[in-house]
Amino acid sequence: MRALMRAAWSAFEMSLRLRVVNPWTYLNWLVFPVIFAATGLFMLSSSGIDRVAYGVLGGGIIGFWSVAYLDGGNAIQDERWQGTLEQIFAVPAPLLVIVIGKIVSSVLLGLLAFIPTVALAYFGFHAVLPALDPLRFAVSLGVLTFSFFIISVALTPLFAVWRWAFTVLNGLELAVYGLCGFMFPVSQLPGWLQPVSYVLSPTWATRALYASASPSPNAGIAGWWLVALGLSVAYLALSVLLYRYVDVRARVTGELALA
Amino acid sequence: MTQVAVFARSTWLQYVALFQWATPLGYFAYKVVLPVTQIVFFVQLGVFATGPGNALYFALGNSLQLTANAGIFGVIATVSNERQYGTLPLLLASPANRLVTFMSRSFVNVLDGIVSVIFGLVVTALLYGLDLRTANLLLLGLCIVIISLTTAGLGLLFGSLGLVMRDSIIIANVVYYGLLILCGVNFPVARLPLVLQAVAYALPLTRGVEAARQAVRGADIGQVAGLLAGELLVGAIYAGLGYTLFRVLEGWARRGGLQEAY
Repeated sequence: MRALMRAAWSAFEMSLRLRVVNPWTYLNWLVFPVIFAATGLFMLSSSGIDRVAYGVLGGGIIGFWSVAYLDGGNAIQDERWQGTLEQIFAVPAPLLVIVIGKIVSSVLLGLLAFIPTVALAYFGFHAVLPALDPLRFAVSLGVLTFSFFIISVALTPLFAVWRWAFTVLNGLELAVYGLCGFMFPVSQLPGWLQPVSYVLSPTWATRALYASASPSPNAGIAGWWLVALGLSVAYLALSVLLYRYVDVRARVTGELALA
Repeated sequence: MTQVAVFARSTWLQYVALFQWATPLGYFAYKVVLPVTQIVFFVQLGVFATGPGNALYFALGNSLQLTANAGIFGVIATVSNERQYGTLPLLLASPANRLVTFMSRSFVNVLDGIVSVIFGLVVTALLYGLDLRTANLLLLGLCIVIISLTTAGLGLLFGSLGLVMRDSIIIANVVYYGLLILCGVNFPVARLPLVLQAVAYALPLTRGVEAARQAVRGADIGQVAGLLAGELLVGAIYAGLGYTLFRVLEGWARRGGLQEAY
């Protein structure tokens, strides 16, 4: 167990060092959130205080997601392009442990994405979140962080064995923003699309986050936390199977570098 | 004839090389799924902000902005990819005419941008009921060609930075999404602070999008001639600056051995 912890810590430390000097990280946690928050605030600022929260927090959630999941996926692509992906599979530490170390670093950096959006909202638009409930907000943010972490961990093996997986999921990026209600409620989506949203854990965590920053009280928030956590645990269970499959497939086909 | 052949070959190879990373599924996701989801996402955000009556405004704006995907990302990537894959020194050492090489980098992306906008308009018509029966289609077509040319002009300017800069594709991301805020795509330019309005009118797309919106409402060319002339002027200035910068940075890259610095 100690050896696994040490492997995860090393992956975390190395990954964090690489991210700090990587301009893409700054694009994702600093520039993208500001751009989306500015767009949202320009569009939403005239439509009431409830909706401004979607501009203030929406850009931050998008930036958080981008760092947590896109950077995580890119970390595997980078290993492939630098010829080190095979070594990661060959070392005694399981792939899951190394991925956890990498994703923890991206999730921690991703949390920074809320700083520029809140600053932009305050200094640029004089917009604040007057009805923020600190306790509920903190718990909701924790649940959101957990759900992003689990999704990133669960999807990463796909990026390892199929190069197309990252490009396809990258193409679905804006769809994820919409399906998970990052900048507008899921109820805005067509009815036939909403069930897809409901099986995504960030949908519930995001809903809880907005509810904790809304002036209108909402009794369902604890239930949304539980649904988000439950779905995340289900993803984790499925991902264990996926990791086993990927581990075997990588060794049988020997195509990691070519995938 | 030789120059034409260089231009044609260079143009084709650049488009193929631009998508070297993509499987057919990845290409589909990038060229079809991403544009559709961009339109749908910003329409839903706009409808949430202002009500369902304005859906077409957002759909049309985002359809037109899709040209920047090719004009900005595509053009910048052609130079940055040369650097990433180690072929930039070969390009700079070749005797091919620089202007031909430079213009061929944007030509295929202009065509790609036009196709992207037409695809976006089809999606808008199917999902949001865009009715073009009263539109001035010839003028709309002209607007689409012009904004595709002018955004490629801006792409050429930033693409030149790829000669000396490792991560110029990051600039593509910033410029592409910056255009969503500044160019009247999702809300009128008049809602921006005055300083940003000045920036908006110094960028391609702003006037072109405005002209295209009027063309959809049936305006004739006389009503939008000023906008289109301004749009062309802005695009020509960026392309000219881009070519100048390309030559300056080419010299700098040669002197500093920066073509292979990675």
